[in-house]
Amino acid sequence: MPQQAQPSPSPKPKKKIRVPRVVNGVEQMVEIEVDADSGPGWGPNDKHRLLNQRITRVDGPLKAAGAAQYTYDYRLPGMLHGRILRCPHGHARVTKLDTEVASKIPGVKAIIQAPLTELRFAGAPVAAVAATTPEIAGDALRAIKVTYEVLPHVVHAQEAVKPNAPKVVAEENNLQEKAKNGDPAKVEAAFATADEIVEAEYTSPRIHHACLETHGMVVDYRGGDTATIYASTQGTFTIPEDAAKELGLQQSAVTSSVEHMGGGFGAKFGIGVEGMFACRLSKETKAPVKMMLTRYDEFVMAGNRSAAWQKLKAGVKKDGTIVAMQARQYRLGGIGQGSQAGQPFIYSMGEAYREIYALHTNEDSSVAMRAPGYPQASFAAESLVDELAYKIKMDPVDFRKKNLRDPVYHRQLDRGAREIGWSRRNPVAGAGAGPLKRGFGCAVGIWGGAGNNQCKVALTISRDGSVVVAVGTQDLGTGTRTYTRAIVAEEFGLGIKDVKEQIGSSKLGGANPSGGSTTAPSLSPSVKDAAVKTRLLMAERVAPLLNNAKPEEVVFADGKVSANGKSVTWREACAALPAAGVTGNGEWRSELQARGVHGVCFAEVEVDVETGHVKPIKMVHIQDGGLPLNRLTFESQINGGMIQSLGMALWEGRVMDAQLGLQLNPGFGDYKLPGTLEMPEMVPIIDDDDKREAVIGIAEGCNIPAVGALANAVFNACGVRVRELPITPDKILIGLMNSSTSRAE
Amino acid sequence: MKSDQEEQQPSKHDPSRRKFLKGVGIAGAGAAIADHIWIEAEAKEQATPNTMSGEARVVLDINGEKRSVQVEPRTTLLNAMRNHLEPAVTGPKLVCDMGTCGACTVLLDGKPAYSCLVLAVDAANKKITTVEGLGTPDKPNAVQAAFVEHDALMCGFCTPGFVTTISAYLKKNPNPSLDEVREACKGNFCRCGTYPRVFEAALAAAKASQA
Repeated sequence: MPQQAQPSPSPKPKKKIRVPRVVNGVEQMVEIEVDADSGPGWGPNDKHRLLNQRITRVDGPLKAAGAAQYTYDYRLPGMLHGRILRCPHGHARVTKLDTEVASKIPGVKAIIQAPLTELRFAGAPVAAVAATTPEIAGDALRAIKVTYEVLPHVVHAQEAVKPNAPKVVAEENNLQEKAKNGDPAKVEAAFATADEIVEAEYTSPRIHHACLETHGMVVDYRGGDTATIYASTQGTFTIPEDAAKELGLQQSAVTSSVEHMGGGFGAKFGIGVEGMFACRLSKETKAPVKMMLTRYDEFVMAGNRSAAWQKLKAGVKKDGTIVAMQARQYRLGGIGQGSQAGQPFIYSMGEAYREIYALHTNEDSSVAMRAPGYPQASFAAESLVDELAYKIKMDPVDFRKKNLRDPVYHRQLDRGAREIGWSRRNPVAGAGAGPLKRGFGCAVGIWGGAGNNQCKVALTISRDGSVVVAVGTQDLGTGTRTYTRAIVAEEFGLGIKDVKEQIGSSKLGGANPSGGSTTAPSLSPSVKDAAVKTRLLMAERVAPLLNNAKPEEVVFADGKVSANGKSVTWREACAALPAAGVTGNGEWRSELQARGVHGVCFAEVEVDVETGHVKPIKMVHIQDGGLPLNRLTFESQINGGMIQSLGMALWEGRVMDAQLGLQLNPGFGDYKLPGTLEMPEMVPIIDDDDKREAVIGIAEGCNIPAVGALANAVFNACGVRVRELPITPDKILIGLMNSSTSRAE
Repeated sequence: MKSDQEEQQPSKHDPSRRKFLKGVGIAGAGAAIADHIWIEAEAKEQATPNTMSGEARVVLDINGEKRSVQVEPRTTLLNAMRNHLEPAVTGPKLVCDMGTCGACTVLLDGKPAYSCLVLAVDAANKKITTVEGLGTPDKPNAVQAAFVEHDALMCGFCTPGFVTTISAYLKKNPNPSLDEVREACKGNFCRCGTYPRVFEAALAAAKASQA
């Protein structure tokens, strides 16, 4: 019996909406057309059986047992191991590359030179090798002789901005104007009305994504017409086109596969330079090539969160109204553009004027990192706001409410203050007794989190009762697999285990790359749409068994299918399906998602004024996000945001040597990540007062306010305002010394 | 308090010497340390270049199975498991390859060790347990089950290391405090931000094992 085709839809009224598209981690808005109204919504957030509950992740057992297969775990017959040779100078030109000795090492199968001969940062790729073992590949790198013409470099922003600084790109100025907004004359006039003025500079260093699985891929190509790429990527569909170009194949002949991947945080889109090398080496050797970056590679050339240098000035009235702000913002993206949200960030600051520049240094290009441009802008804005509040002796929570229009923040700030115990806060900074001083701080965050229409989901129910939901998307550890199953199971009255998901393949339906917190709001509406459509297709088939009920009367619940007082088991119902089963194809429905999330973070720290050591004691983050698909993984995202922010606030940062142009801390031994001993008590709170029946992405929103909250808590504890991240003991001790000196004077 | 990191250093060889061996990787040094294993030196005569490489056959006792593998003296246990054993053992992850992150943690005679800091030839007379040897997706041990239940994993790349470290620790200390759990797994890094739930899972696993 032929499978019944889906009823062809009659022309429906359409509407145009703007949605975010993420290209290489950078969000852009595009206009698309969607049905003006289609199908049922999610229903009230508190009425779900599986969604908005605590569902353990479906890939958890595999991961906990070490059985999940990551890109790094692939080992194919005849596979070669790739490694990349890196430039040891901050700026250089290759004049000679001698591979003669290296190529004679037994086991070395291919050596290729990088396409660029001018190398603009230490760590820039010079050549790549493929060998039979990783050790031999390393031997080959050591045996390649490179002659460099060393060029002048500059790696510190404060030097790069000077007119006589070495040029990072020969034909360009290091300093590039990007935007000017506002009217300087009006701002000047507004400053004249202020009672108090704060003027300060805030800097934050480059932060490394430090994904535990490094960038890389296994290119399975043996000289034929097709290839498969196993990639550690945030975008299944960002791989085939570029890989096909390198391999000289049709795009459709290249399949990308992403079963499990070990972290991305914005750094993993496209094949990258390592993928280019892997494809070329594979093409040359006609053998599969595995090219995973080493940890050192990962630090020096796999991208990072851009550093920031912000000169801010704001004026405030005694009643707490900020009346004027001016900003000069430098995005420090190395040879790239960097990113930084414009000031005054979330706040209303009366008349505002800002200038934004990109300032180049001889460092690798920054890339998107969890809330690109926002943590940097937030740290500066929240520090500035805090300084203004202390200046006029107003409570920082009340001061924020005064200068934030959105009532959601007011609600969240009140809740956060209760949860952290804000009433325990000493209003006078540094006034606590003894050498261990407690302090409290807070900050707010914002993100878009809307979806787009790229996800095409196919849901198939077979005669044997199996339910398979298929779409090419990827799970970065965010829980994508789990909510995909849950949405389908909820619709059909089944359990999580009754549904199987197939994801992570470019042979499946299209899906957007996971950037900008767009995955859940793009994917879940398409999954829901597929579930609703498939349910109707199945109901049409099963209705005759149920005293000829109408399809729309058929109820799916508790593993049974019922109508008209008659009930059959799931298996009995599925037996009524055609031989090929039924398949519903889900498209994105804009009304099932929304845009705009809010979060606040409160932090309590203890500062030892004898050593300068900062101990985080407690952090509370309250986050809204419409319909929480899975409370367990939502809370984990909040924890993750707090912990990554903790690293940026207190410990992390690339350190560059000015003379050599090299990174001094390109490894976990020197680049300090948050560890188990430093963890404070963490309280992740989902804001259930958000009643929007829509899915909104939350991962980035959780990663914004905590840095400012921690910096402000440090000030409250010890009276030292550290404006240069990370807040290390030396800076606190110098601050304490300066303040005691000024008191003595 | 003496840390587990110190305890897990095999006592026979000092770390600086082992680092030296890994760095230079020469067959002669491999033979010199092969005082308790059968080693087949296969240094190949090469006019140019002279990289002085060679191979040794060792038998590794992994998860209760004796596995023979041909490695160079410089090959780490981690590398031997992932890139030389056939089929591979890939539960332990290669993340830093220099003993800073804990993702490659295995148990050597029951004690946690970074397998990127252990030479394969040095592991030949020890019982090696990887995360795969502790439990399976269908039959997890108490720690693995608790990790799933408490969402103590996200991308999951650090998880094998944490599970292995904590499983060993709970044998040593079946009823730990929160601070003892933090101390026990201070040699493991996570980037997604699972720490609070790793602690919860460890404490829950301890409770479950006692019940």
